[in-house]
Amino acid sequence: MKFIMNYIRKETWSPYVAGVLLGLVGISAVWISNSLLGASGAYENIAGMIGKAVAPKLFDNMYFNFIMPPGMTIAVVLLIGIFFGGMAGAATSRTLKWGKKESLNSDGQWKRIFGAQTWKRWALAFIGAIILEYSAGIAGGCTSGLAISGGMLLAPAAFLFIAGMFASGILTALIIYRKNY
Amino acid sequence: MSNYFVALVLGGFFGFSLNKAGLTKYNKIVNVFRFTDMAVLQFMMTALVVSMSGLFALRGLGLIVFPSIPSTYIVGNTIGGLIFGIGMALTGF
Repeated sequence: MKFIMNYIRKETWSPYVAGVLLGLVGISAVWISNSLLGASGAYENIAGMIGKAVAPKLFDNMYFNFIMPPGMTIAVVLLIGIFFGGMAGAATSRTLKWGKKESLNSDGQWKRIFGAQTWKRWALAFIGAIILEYSAGIAGGCTSGLAISGGMLLAPAAFLFIAGMFASGILTALIIYRKNY
Repeated sequence: MSNYFVALVLGGFFGFSLNKAGLTKYNKIVNVFRFTDMAVLQFMMTALVVSMSGLFALRGLGLIVFPSIPSTYIVGNTIGGLIFGIGMALTGF
Protein backbone atom coordinates (compact mmCIF):
# COMPACT_ATOMS: atom_id res chain seq x y z
CA MET A 1 0.00 0.00 0.00
CA LYS A 2 2.80 2.35 0.92
CA PHE A 3 4.55 1.54 -2.34
CA ILE A 4 1.44 2.51 -4.30
CA MET A 5 1.07 5.81 -2.41
CA ASN A 6 4.69 6.66 -3.08
CA TYR A 7 4.27 5.82 -6.74
CA ILE A 8 1.25 8.11 -7.02
CA ARG A 9 3.32 10.98 -5.60
CA LYS A 10 6.03 10.59 -8.24
CA GLU A 11 6.11 13.40 -10.80
CA THR A 12 6.45 11.27 -13.92
CA TRP A 13 5.40 7.69 -14.10
CA SER A 14 6.74 5.11 -16.46
CA PRO A 15 4.78 5.77 -19.67
CA TYR A 16 3.84 2.09 -19.74
CA VAL A 17 2.04 2.29 -16.38
CA ALA A 18 0.22 5.47 -17.37
CA GLY A 19 -0.64 3.88 -20.70
CA VAL A 20 -2.22 0.88 -18.99
CA LEU A 21 -4.33 3.30 -16.92
CA LEU A 22 -5.50 5.11 -20.05
CA GLY A 23 -6.23 1.80 -21.73
CA LEU A 24 -8.47 0.77 -18.82
CA VAL A 25 -10.22 4.15 -19.01
CA GLY A 26 -10.82 3.57 -22.72
CA ILE A 27 -12.32 0.13 -22.09
CA SER A 28 -14.61 1.38 -19.34
CA ALA A 29 -15.77 4.31 -21.49
CA VAL A 30 -17.07 1.86 -24.08
CA TRP A 31 -18.31 -0.65 -21.52
CA ILE A 32 -20.13 1.64 -19.11
CA SER A 33 -21.38 4.53 -21.23
CA ASN A 34 -20.95 3.15 -24.77
CA SER A 35 -19.04 6.25 -25.87
CA LEU A 36 -15.53 7.05 -27.00
CA LEU A 37 -12.97 9.32 -25.40
CA GLY A 38 -12.27 12.59 -27.15
CA ALA A 39 -11.26 16.14 -26.44
CA SER A 40 -11.42 18.27 -29.58
CA GLY A 41 -15.12 17.66 -30.24
CA ALA A 42 -16.02 19.33 -26.97
CA TYR A 43 -14.51 22.65 -28.08
CA GLU A 44 -16.64 22.52 -31.20
CA ASN A 45 -19.74 21.80 -29.09
CA ILE A 46 -18.98 24.83 -26.94
CA ALA A 47 -18.13 26.98 -29.96
CA GLY A 48 -21.42 25.96 -31.55
CA MET A 49 -23.29 26.88 -28.39
CA ILE A 50 -21.71 30.35 -28.27
CA GLY A 51 -22.08 30.81 -32.02
CA LYS A 52 -25.78 29.94 -32.03
CA ALA A 53 -26.35 32.55 -29.35
CA VAL A 54 -24.26 35.31 -30.97
CA ALA A 55 -24.70 34.80 -34.70
CA PRO A 56 -27.42 32.18 -35.34
CA LYS A 57 -27.44 32.77 -39.14
CA LEU A 58 -23.74 32.15 -39.56
CA PHE A 59 -23.84 28.93 -37.52
CA ASP A 60 -26.97 27.56 -39.19
CA ASN A 61 -25.12 25.17 -41.50
CA MET A 62 -24.63 21.45 -42.02
CA TYR A 63 -21.61 21.19 -39.79
CA PHE A 64 -23.03 22.71 -36.64
CA ASN A 65 -26.52 21.28 -37.14
CA PHE A 66 -25.68 17.64 -37.76
CA ILE A 67 -22.00 16.73 -37.45
CA MET A 68 -21.17 18.66 -34.29
CA PRO A 69 -24.41 19.56 -32.55
CA PRO A 70 -23.92 22.33 -29.95
CA GLY A 71 -24.81 21.82 -26.32
CA MET A 72 -23.61 20.17 -23.12
CA THR A 73 -22.64 16.82 -24.59
CA ILE A 74 -20.78 14.03 -22.82
CA ALA A 75 -17.59 15.23 -24.51
CA VAL A 76 -17.86 18.59 -22.73
CA VAL A 77 -18.28 16.90 -19.35
CA LEU A 78 -15.32 14.65 -20.18
CA LEU A 79 -13.22 17.72 -20.97
CA ILE A 80 -14.06 19.22 -17.57
CA GLY A 81 -13.02 15.93 -16.01
CA ILE A 82 -9.73 15.96 -17.93
CA PHE A 83 -8.99 19.45 -16.62
CA PHE A 84 -9.52 18.50 -13.00
CA GLY A 85 -7.80 15.15 -13.44
CA GLY A 86 -4.72 16.86 -14.80
CA MET A 87 -4.79 19.26 -11.87
CA ALA A 88 -5.10 16.36 -9.44
CA GLY A 89 -2.13 14.70 -11.10
CA ALA A 90 -0.04 17.82 -10.68
CA ALA A 91 -1.23 18.28 -7.10
CA THR A 92 -0.23 14.78 -6.05
CA SER A 93 3.28 15.33 -7.38
CA ARG A 94 3.37 18.87 -5.91
CA THR A 95 4.09 20.55 -9.22
CA LEU A 96 0.81 22.47 -9.25
CA LYS A 97 1.64 26.16 -9.70
CA TRP A 98 -1.76 27.76 -9.42
CA GLY A 99 -1.56 31.51 -10.01
CA LYS A 100 2.22 31.75 -9.84
CA LYS A 101 4.01 33.91 -12.36
CA GLU A 102 6.60 31.38 -13.52
CA SER A 103 3.85 28.98 -14.55
CA LEU A 104 2.88 31.28 -17.44
CA ASN A 105 5.95 30.17 -19.39
CA SER A 106 7.71 27.40 -17.55
CA ASP A 107 9.34 25.24 -20.19
CA GLY A 108 13.13 25.52 -20.35
CA GLN A 109 13.42 23.95 -23.77
CA TRP A 110 10.91 26.37 -25.24
CA LYS A 111 12.85 29.37 -23.93
CA ARG A 112 16.07 28.09 -25.44
CA ILE A 113 14.56 27.74 -28.90
CA PHE A 114 12.09 30.62 -29.20
CA GLY A 115 13.27 33.12 -26.59
CA ALA A 116 12.16 33.88 -23.04
CA GLN A 117 9.24 36.26 -23.77
CA THR A 118 5.95 35.09 -22.33
CA TRP A 119 3.79 36.73 -25.04
CA LYS A 120 5.54 34.67 -27.72
CA ARG A 121 4.65 31.45 -25.93
CA TRP A 122 1.01 32.47 -25.63
CA ALA A 123 0.73 33.79 -29.19
CA LEU A 124 2.25 30.65 -30.70
CA ALA A 125 0.09 28.45 -28.48
CA PHE A 126 -2.99 30.32 -29.74
CA ILE A 127 -2.01 29.97 -33.41
CA GLY A 128 -1.05 26.34 -32.97
CA ALA A 129 -4.33 25.58 -31.24
CA ILE A 130 -6.26 27.07 -34.18
CA ILE A 131 -4.32 24.76 -36.52
CA LEU A 132 -4.98 21.79 -34.24
CA GLU A 133 -8.72 22.39 -33.94
CA TYR A 134 -9.13 23.06 -37.67
CA SER A 135 -7.31 19.90 -38.70
CA ALA A 136 -9.14 17.86 -36.08
CA GLY A 137 -12.33 19.03 -37.77
CA ILE A 138 -11.07 17.84 -41.15
CA ALA A 139 -9.82 14.47 -39.94
CA GLY A 140 -12.75 13.76 -37.63
CA GLY A 141 -10.88 13.68 -34.33
CA CYS A 142 -7.70 14.53 -32.49
CA THR A 143 -5.03 12.46 -30.75
CA SER A 144 -7.45 11.14 -28.16
CA GLY A 145 -10.65 11.13 -30.18
CA LEU A 146 -9.34 9.53 -33.35
CA ALA A 147 -5.84 8.14 -32.82
CA ILE A 148 -6.40 6.42 -29.46
CA SER A 149 -10.13 5.67 -29.36
CA GLY A 150 -10.29 4.94 -33.08
CA GLY A 151 -7.14 2.86 -32.88
CA MET A 152 -8.50 0.67 -30.11
CA LEU A 153 -11.44 -0.21 -32.36
CA LEU A 154 -8.91 -0.89 -35.15
CA ALA A 155 -10.34 1.84 -37.38
CA PRO A 156 -8.18 2.44 -40.47
CA ALA A 157 -8.84 6.18 -40.13
CA ALA A 158 -6.85 6.28 -36.89
CA PHE A 159 -3.73 4.78 -38.41
CA LEU A 160 -3.84 7.08 -41.43
CA PHE A 161 -4.14 9.98 -39.01
CA ILE A 162 -1.19 8.82 -36.87
CA ALA A 163 0.97 8.40 -39.98
CA GLY A 164 0.16 11.92 -41.21
CA MET A 165 0.62 13.39 -37.75
CA PHE A 166 4.11 11.99 -37.31
CA ALA A 167 5.23 12.76 -40.86
CA SER A 168 4.45 16.47 -40.62
CA GLY A 169 5.36 16.70 -36.94
CA ILE A 170 8.88 15.46 -37.64
CA LEU A 171 9.18 17.87 -40.58
CA THR A 172 7.99 20.84 -38.52
CA ALA A 173 10.37 19.97 -35.69
CA LEU A 174 13.20 19.73 -38.23
CA ILE A 175 12.40 23.24 -39.52
CA ILE A 176 12.03 24.75 -36.04
CA TYR A 177 15.15 23.19 -34.53
CA ARG A 178 17.43 23.14 -37.63
CA LYS A 179 20.95 22.87 -36.14
CA ASN A 180 19.77 21.75 -32.72
CA TYR A 181 17.75 18.82 -34.08
CA MET B 1 -27.57 12.04 -15.63
CA SER B 2 -25.47 9.10 -14.45
CA ASN B 3 -23.85 9.13 -17.88
CA TYR B 4 -22.50 12.62 -17.16
CA PHE B 5 -21.09 11.51 -13.83
CA VAL B 6 -19.35 8.56 -15.47
CA ALA B 7 -17.89 10.88 -18.09
CA LEU B 8 -16.62 13.23 -15.39
CA VAL B 9 -14.87 10.43 -13.49
CA LEU B 10 -13.42 8.88 -16.66
CA GLY B 11 -12.20 12.30 -17.77
CA GLY B 12 -10.56 12.69 -14.37
CA PHE B 13 -8.59 9.47 -14.79
CA PHE B 14 -7.78 10.41 -18.39
CA GLY B 15 -6.30 13.76 -17.34
CA PHE B 16 -4.49 12.13 -14.43
CA SER B 17 -2.77 9.58 -16.66
CA LEU B 18 -1.86 12.25 -19.22
CA ASN B 19 -0.31 14.38 -16.51
CA LYS B 20 1.62 11.50 -14.94
CA ALA B 21 3.00 10.39 -18.30
CA GLY B 22 4.28 13.95 -18.77
CA LEU B 23 2.17 14.62 -21.86
CA THR B 24 1.10 17.98 -20.47
CA LYS B 25 4.62 19.30 -21.05
CA TYR B 26 5.79 20.94 -24.26
CA ASN B 27 9.21 19.28 -24.30
CA LYS B 28 7.83 15.73 -24.07
CA ILE B 29 5.66 16.21 -27.15
CA VAL B 30 8.30 17.89 -29.28
CA ASN B 31 11.08 15.50 -28.29
CA VAL B 32 9.18 12.57 -29.74
CA PHE B 33 9.49 14.31 -33.12
CA ARG B 34 13.22 14.76 -32.51
CA PHE B 35 13.61 11.10 -31.49
CA THR B 36 15.18 12.04 -28.15
CA ASP B 37 12.31 11.02 -25.83
CA MET B 38 9.83 8.39 -26.92
CA ALA B 39 7.49 8.68 -23.91
CA VAL B 40 4.54 9.79 -26.06
CA LEU B 41 4.78 6.77 -28.33
CA GLN B 42 5.29 4.36 -25.44
CA PHE B 43 2.27 5.84 -23.67
CA MET B 44 0.00 5.88 -26.72
CA MET B 45 0.90 2.42 -27.92
CA THR B 46 0.55 0.86 -24.45
CA ALA B 47 -2.89 2.43 -24.12
CA LEU B 48 -3.81 1.17 -27.60
CA VAL B 49 -2.66 -2.39 -26.93
CA VAL B 50 -4.38 -2.63 -23.53
CA SER B 51 -7.71 -1.19 -24.65
CA MET B 52 -7.64 -2.98 -28.00
CA SER B 53 -7.18 -6.43 -26.47
CA GLY B 54 -9.64 -5.67 -23.67
CA LEU B 55 -12.35 -4.42 -26.00
CA PHE B 56 -12.05 -7.24 -28.49
CA ALA B 57 -12.05 -9.81 -25.66
CA LEU B 58 -15.19 -8.23 -24.19
CA ARG B 59 -16.86 -8.19 -27.58
CA GLY B 60 -15.93 -11.83 -28.08
CA LEU B 61 -17.65 -12.63 -24.78
CA GLY B 62 -20.70 -10.73 -25.99
CA LEU B 63 -20.59 -8.18 -23.17
CA ILE B 64 -20.35 -5.00 -25.27
CA VAL B 65 -21.41 -3.70 -28.65
CA PHE B 66 -18.98 -1.35 -30.35
CA PRO B 67 -20.10 2.27 -30.74
CA SER B 68 -19.91 3.77 -34.20
CA ILE B 69 -16.38 3.36 -35.48
CA PRO B 70 -14.77 6.56 -36.85
CA SER B 71 -15.40 6.50 -40.58
CA THR B 72 -12.56 6.34 -43.07
CA TYR B 73 -11.99 9.15 -45.56
CA ILE B 74 -8.52 8.44 -46.86
CA VAL B 75 -7.85 12.00 -48.08
CA GLY B 76 -9.54 13.71 -45.15
CA ASN B 77 -7.83 11.67 -42.47
CA THR B 78 -4.39 12.01 -44.02
CA ILE B 79 -4.61 15.73 -44.72
CA GLY B 80 -6.08 16.32 -41.28
CA GLY B 81 -3.21 14.39 -39.76
CA LEU B 82 -0.64 16.30 -41.78
CA ILE B 83 -1.97 19.69 -40.62
CA PHE B 84 -2.42 18.37 -37.08
CA GLY B 85 1.27 17.46 -36.87
CA ILE B 86 2.28 21.07 -37.59
CA GLY B 87 0.12 22.36 -34.76
CA MET B 88 1.33 19.62 -32.45
CA ALA B 89 5.01 20.40 -33.03
CA LEU B 90 4.35 24.13 -32.54
CA THR B 91 2.29 24.05 -29.35
CA GLY B 92 3.05 20.77 -27.65
CA PHE B 93 -0.54 19.63 -27.31
